[in-house]
This record gives sequence, C-alpha cells and structure tokens, in this order.
Amino acid sequence: MGVNEFRADINKALANENLRGALGRFGDAYVGDRERAYRNRDFNALREEVSGIKKYAAEHMEELAGRFTEEAARRGARVYRAATAAQARDYILKLALERGVKTVVKSKSMASEEIHLNKHLEDAGLDVTETDLGEWIIQLSGQKPSHMVMPAIHMTRGEVAGVFSRETEENIPADIPYMVNVAREKLREKFLASDMGISGANIAVAETGTLVMVTNEGNGRLTTTLPPLHVVIVGLEKLVARLSDIAPILEALPRSATAQQITSYVTMLTGPARAMDAQGKVVEKEMHIVVLDNGRTEMQRDPVFRNAMQCIRCASCLNVCPVFQLVGGHVFGSVYTGGIGSILTAFLDGMAESKDIQGLCLGCNRCKEVCPGKVDLPGLTTELRNRLVQKDGLPLSQRIILEKVLPNRKLFHGMLKAAAKAQKPFTGDDGTMRHLPFFLAGISGGKKLPAIAATSLRDLLKDTIKSSGGERRRPVVGVFPGCLVDFVYPKIGLDMVKVLDRMGYDVIFPQGQTCCGYPARQLGAPTVMAKVARQNIDAFWAGKPDFILTPCPTCTYALKKIYPELLLNDEQYASRAGELANITQDFSAFIFDRAEEFQSVAAPQKGKITYHDSCHLKRSLGIFREPRELIKMTGAELVEMDWADRCCGFGGSYAVKYPELSQQILEQKINNINKTGADVVAVECPGCLMQIWRGLSAGGGAGRPSVRHMAEILADSI
Amino acid sequence: MNSLTQDDTIVSGHWEQYNRLYEDFKYMAEAISARVHRVKGYTEAAGEIAKIVNELKIITIVTDLSPMVRELNLAVSLDGTGASVHADNLRQLAAGADMGISSADLAIAETGTLGHYADDMEGRLVSMLPPVHLVLVRTDSLVNTLRIALERYKDNVSSLPAYLTFISGPSRTADIERVLTIGVHGPGKLEIIFIDSPGGAIRGGK
Repeated sequence: MGVNEFRADINKALANENLRGALGRFGDAYVGDRERAYRNRDFNALREEVSGIKKYAAEHMEELAGRFTEEAARRGARVYRAATAAQARDYILKLALERGVKTVVKSKSMASEEIHLNKHLEDAGLDVTETDLGEWIIQLSGQKPSHMVMPAIHMTRGEVAGVFSRETEENIPADIPYMVNVAREKLREKFLASDMGISGANIAVAETGTLVMVTNEGNGRLTTTLPPLHVVIVGLEKLVARLSDIAPILEALPRSATAQQITSYVTMLTGPARAMDAQGKVVEKEMHIVVLDNGRTEMQRDPVFRNAMQCIRCASCLNVCPVFQLVGGHVFGSVYTGGIGSILTAFLDGMAESKDIQGLCLGCNRCKEVCPGKVDLPGLTTELRNRLVQKDGLPLSQRIILEKVLPNRKLFHGMLKAAAKAQKPFTGDDGTMRHLPFFLAGISGGKKLPAIAATSLRDLLKDTIKSSGGERRRPVVGVFPGCLVDFVYPKIGLDMVKVLDRMGYDVIFPQGQTCCGYPARQLGAPTVMAKVARQNIDAFWAGKPDFILTPCPTCTYALKKIYPELLLNDEQYASRAGELANITQDFSAFIFDRAEEFQSVAAPQKGKITYHDSCHLKRSLGIFREPRELIKMTGAELVEMDWADRCCGFGGSYAVKYPELSQQILEQKINNINKTGADVVAVECPGCLMQIWRGLSAGGGAGRPSVRHMAEILADSI
Repeated sequence: MNSLTQDDTIVSGHWEQYNRLYEDFKYMAEAISARVHRVKGYTEAAGEIAKIVNELKIITIVTDLSPMVRELNLAVSLDGTGASVHADNLRQLAAGADMGISSADLAIAETGTLGHYADDMEGRLVSMLPPVHLVLVRTDSLVNTLRIALERYKDNVSSLPAYLTFISGPSRTADIERVLTIGVHGPGKLEIIFIDSPGGAIRGGK
C-alpha cells in the first residue's frame, strides 16, 4: 500500500463516527471490566505462569509438535503438518472433495482467516458458512474482521440489520436480541445439514493430543459435534507441553479477552468422539488436525521475535491501544490486528506487509503492561522497525540527520543555535512559532510550537555550579536535560538547579553531552543511538557525579535501561554504561526519596493541580506515586483526571508522522484535563509538556489551566 | 469421584466443605444467568423438574441416557405436566425440543462451571440444541477450581474423554455493539439441580 493510500485510510477511519464511538466506548469500559475480572487474582503471578508455559513451548516447539502428532494420532485423529498457507488450504479442499462434502460450517478460527480458506473452498463450489455471529456478519457483508476477538466491533446494529435484511430478504429491525435470534434460526439449518465442520483451537496439548476451544455462543460445540467430519486448524504457537498448562491459560484468556471469569463453553477434544449422521445412525467420526506453520518456525527461530510466540490471542493489547481505539483494525492491522497484528503480519505475510502498520505504534507501552503472555510489543515493534531500515534503508532526509548530524554534537548543536537565531522573523509575540527552520521544519506541520530558546541551558549553566557549601564537599548531581529542556525549555533545567542547590547539592553540566539517541532508535537506527551513548558516557564519566538526574523520562529510560543493553558487548563501554545507569534517576523520584530535605526548604503553596503520567515514566520506569506525593507536599490540592496514564499523543516523532492521530489523542487528554477544573497540569516530561501546552493553547484558552514541569512546580515552592 | 465414606466424622467434614462449595457455585453461576437448585434426592429432583417444566411451559423434552437421568424415570414423574419425554431419535428430535435434560460429571465452584464427559452423542445433543438445558449433578462432585478438576488426569492422561465440555451459564454473545445477549446457538436458559444424596437424606444441614 502506498503511503498516501494508508494516510487516506487513517483519515477515513477518523471520520467514521460509528467506529470511533464503538471502539472508544469499548476501550473505556474494558479497562475497568478487566480489572474487575482479575479481582482476587494476582495478575502478575498469573502472567509469570502463562508466559513461562508459553516460553517453554516456544523453545521446544518442534519436540512438542512431534509429541502432539503422536498422541493425537494414537487417539484416532489424523494430523497434517502444513508448511504454508497453500498447503493447508489444499489439504482441506482435497479432503472435502474426496468425502463428497457440499456444505461446511465453521466456528471462529483466526488461522483460517490467515490462510484465506473460505475463498479457496468457495471457489471450488463449496457452501461455507461462518457461524460465530460476528464472523457471520463479516462474511455476509464481505468484510474482514477488525478485531481478533470481536470481529464486527466496527459495525452498528443498524448496519447489521441492513446486512441481515439483504441475506434473509426480509425487513429485519435493528433490534439486537431479534437479530441474534435470526442468526440462531438461519444458522441452525446449516448446522443440522452440513457435511464438514471446521474449527480453530486456542490451545493444543502435546502430552495428550488435546485441543482446547474457548467459546461463548455454542457454535463451536455444534461445529465439532454435528457434522461427521471435523477439521481443526491450529497454529504451532498454540502448543503447550502438559495438560496442567491449560488451566493458567484458561484463567488468563477470558479475563483478558472479554473480562469474563470463564467463557460459556470450554471444550477439550482428544481424538474423535462418536458422531451420528443426519438420520441418527452412529457413525465413525473423522477428525483431521491441520498444524499450521506458515512463518511460525521462522518466528520461533528468531531470538528476538520468538517472544511473540507467547501471545495467547486475547487481544487485550488492542483494547488498551490509544491508536487502535481511533482507527480500528481495518487500518491498524492485516488479518491479525493492532500491535500484535503488525508483528504477526511481518512473519505470516512478509516484512513488507507490516511496513505501514508498525509505524502506528506510539510506544506508550500500555499493551506491554496488560499482556498475559509477557510479549514486549513496543520492543518488538522497534526491532521490526530496525529490520525494515536495515533492509530498505532510511529516507534520505532522515539518514542525513541520523547519520551525519546527530552523532556530530558540535554540528547538531550548532544547527540548533543557528535555528534559534534564524527563527526570529517567524516567532510570534507570545514566543511561539509556526515554522521551524532547517531540518526541523517537518516537526511543526504548521502547528503552533514553542520557539527554540535564545540561550540554551548548556550556555546558561556552562560547566559547573560552584559549590556554596564552603569547605564541606557537597554531593554532585550531573544534569542530563535532554534536547527539549536544553534548547527549548532551559527554565526547567534552571529550576532543577535551584531546587537541588537549596537541598544541598552541587550541580554540574558536562558540556560534552548530547541527545540521548532514543529518537534514532525509534526510527530504526540503533547504531546511531550507540554512538551518542558513548559520547554521553564519556561526558559524564569525566565529571564523576554522584548522581545523574534528568527531567525527561525518555532520557532517563535511555540512560538507565537502554544504554547498558545496547553496549552490552562493547568491551570498552559496557561496565561504564552499567555504572552510570545505576546512578541515573528521574528528577521527581530523586527529590521524593529525599522528601525531608525538600520539605525543610519548601514553603506551602495553594491551588489545584492535576497530574498527567508520561508513558515512559509510569510504564517503563514505574514512577507515578512519587510526583503525586510531591505535589501534595507542596500544599497544593491534587485532583486526578480521568485516564491520567493515557498517552497524550506526543510519542516523540509520532506527532510529526501521524499528526491527525496525535491530534485526536491530544483532544481526549485536554478534555480530561479540563474536566478537573485544575489550575495547573503537572507533567514530568518535556515532550508531554509541549504537546499538552499546544492542546491547551489551541482553544485560545486564557492560560488556565497552565501546564508545568514538576521541576518548575517544586522550584516555585521554595 | 469424591464418593462418601463410611466414617461419619469425615462425612460431616465433607459436607461442610460441600455446603461452602455449593454456596460459591450458586453465587458464581447465578451471576452468569444460570439458575441453581439443590435437592436431597431423586424424588425431590423430579418434583423440582416438574415445577420448572410447568413454569417454562415446556412441551417436548429430550434426555440423555445417563444413569442419573434414567433414575428419575421422567416419563412417569413428569406425567402430570403433560410434557412428552424422548430419549431416542435425538438427532431428529433435539433441535425441535423445548428442553434438554442431561447430567454433569463435576461442578467447579470458583466459576460456577459444570464439567461433562461428553463422549456420548446423546448428552451433547440434548445440552446443545434445545433452548433450555437442565443439568443434574451430584453435590459431592463439587471441586473448588478448574486446576483441581484437571488434576485428576495428571497421572492418568489416557483416561481423558474424547469430548470434555465445561459449561458456564447459558450461551451468550456480545458481537453486535458489545451488547450482551443470552442464547445464541446454544441454550438461552440453564437450570442446574444439585442432588445431595441420591436416594438419601441431606447431610450436614443446608
């Protein structure tokens, strides 16, 4: 798909009120429903268990496939290993033709969607009916499922009534119970008369040859019971070693998928059970199991992407994704949708197919937090991006910035300083501008942006703040402000220094420091990040600070978590990266750990403050309590906004790449902020600050609420 | 199966446990729209079924061939209701019947779930096709969790039935606008009758 077509799809989805209403309402309800479903359950303990089971299975996939085949065969099933989608399709069609099958009923199977089975069978003249209500609606309307668990979630009852009216040639009212009954009656005829049933499976147990199906409607049981011939399509990733492995998965899957304790029906099939033909005569049941590879072996052999084999297809990653909630699965995904869809698509359909889709990930990490299989979707998406860049290269403009400008600190900072001067003619009276000069031009997209500061933090601070502690040596904090604070919001850096100085710390600003490199990694250039990582390590190593503090959670995450990983095999830098990571901390968390020192210098404040969680601070670093406690310590009233930890839509370069999506997500955030009636929105991230500032000032707001960094709020209380 | 032992002290201990499990089961099953009843023995069970048949205005009933259902002798005990009871030609009759009656082999308290070793085709047909499904289950077949229910196969995996079903509430869907609707392809009503002591008195009080 071309870039422009993909953008057109995004805009079409954003303009679809039905879709956004349905997905938005669902997304809001899901969070609470899921939490209630996990009440009395230790989710983290359960996900350890589930991910352990799935990880073991992924590591022993071939062995388990062999055992499964043996055991299922011993119980009378016929097992066929399909290397490709085509092999799977051909096997099933050949079987159907050999047995004289005319009509087929299907229960929901994503694997059958993946291999486009229906079309293949229908082209050969078979009558194929999807019996899951959602899938039937999709089939009748000639669409693709937009969600792995709820295929027709994008359609309204009115649209469904239209589809049913066409199918039945009757006037079907848009009444949901009525329409459900229409489906029951119409599909009942199909069940009773069909020659072949095709189903999927949620789990395949190697030890016993058992297939487990998790359903709610009852169509799965009818599909596997009524026709004398049953075909199961099961992907290799569904294998587990032992029968006892299924209980933890069955505890997690319904809770995460539909917020149910358990689904109406859990069916465990171990070989063929008895069947009756349409006349009621007991006949030998035939059960065929198609074990589908279609790219899974490649995924399993990949040391990084093997992690995705731990997916149990609950789709909770879709349900909490702010982008999925806006555009749905027809834009965000292929057969498999959302973030997990982009990873699966890369292996099942080929890397090129996921090129556009993977770009939709904001990197907000919400999916990682709720995944019962412990799939690191944001990490895998970054890796996918790296691979795509390795294969196709970066666009020229990005390549110049990332490979020539960013690693050359003097050039990079020289350009930023030049930009500060050159922007003057473009800067409005309020210190904002609409067009950034030079290579940064793409960032603004014509939107209001803060101007680059006349004097950067590095020039304001020079090297060192002289100790005011006399003879006694004070502990030394090295400040790593990150680009936005250094060049756009130097005041935040000065406020950090003010607070630290009053609390008894010396502050140094190593001039050799540069961008943390995270944006390069996000664009698929980890080697560029490694280059600047070494420069930053050199700069701080020379200064020998006791602590490194940053006002930017992404920089903290980079220094603390990514540098040690990135430089793990770098003999010269690995240990230094580790040592610096140990002394690196987020600014608020550092102050909170020294709350008594802070309170001894703070004076009580008034006002109402609401706090927005930055994605990296909350989900990558686990810090959300500390800034809130600090706000209360200042004497201000803390009022919580709805969905405080939902992304603001900034997402680094995301706001540039997908301004429409970023804008929609921002608008939701601004609504939630305005509802609190707070005077101030506190943030701990300069990126969120810029984005929320833009959102608040867009409405021509009279400066209330204002958005402020925690460093500013704390400095004001001193 | 957890059959009753001869030792009275153990028996009363068991019953405290089963009473607790039953209360948990009832709470969970009713939360997912099933109705749960408890009776002392078969005579009382037959009476309870007759009440339900009258209440729901059931005309045609299909049953499986399980020992529990046969013990009820429904053709006789439901005589007064006017409903007809069929245990044969199920492939033809079940889809048109108003109620299916079968027995379950175990009950899981934690989720209000019934376990059915459904290798027999009859049990499956009567539990899947009619709009009402009535299930008989022994109170002493209650276990706490699915994990415990599956543990019995741990050292004996070859004893797994070919078709093992766990049923939790009636059939449901939320595929249109996420509006919960009960009764799609399976039964829209699930009636569960626990029998404490086939032929005997209730133990340990209720």
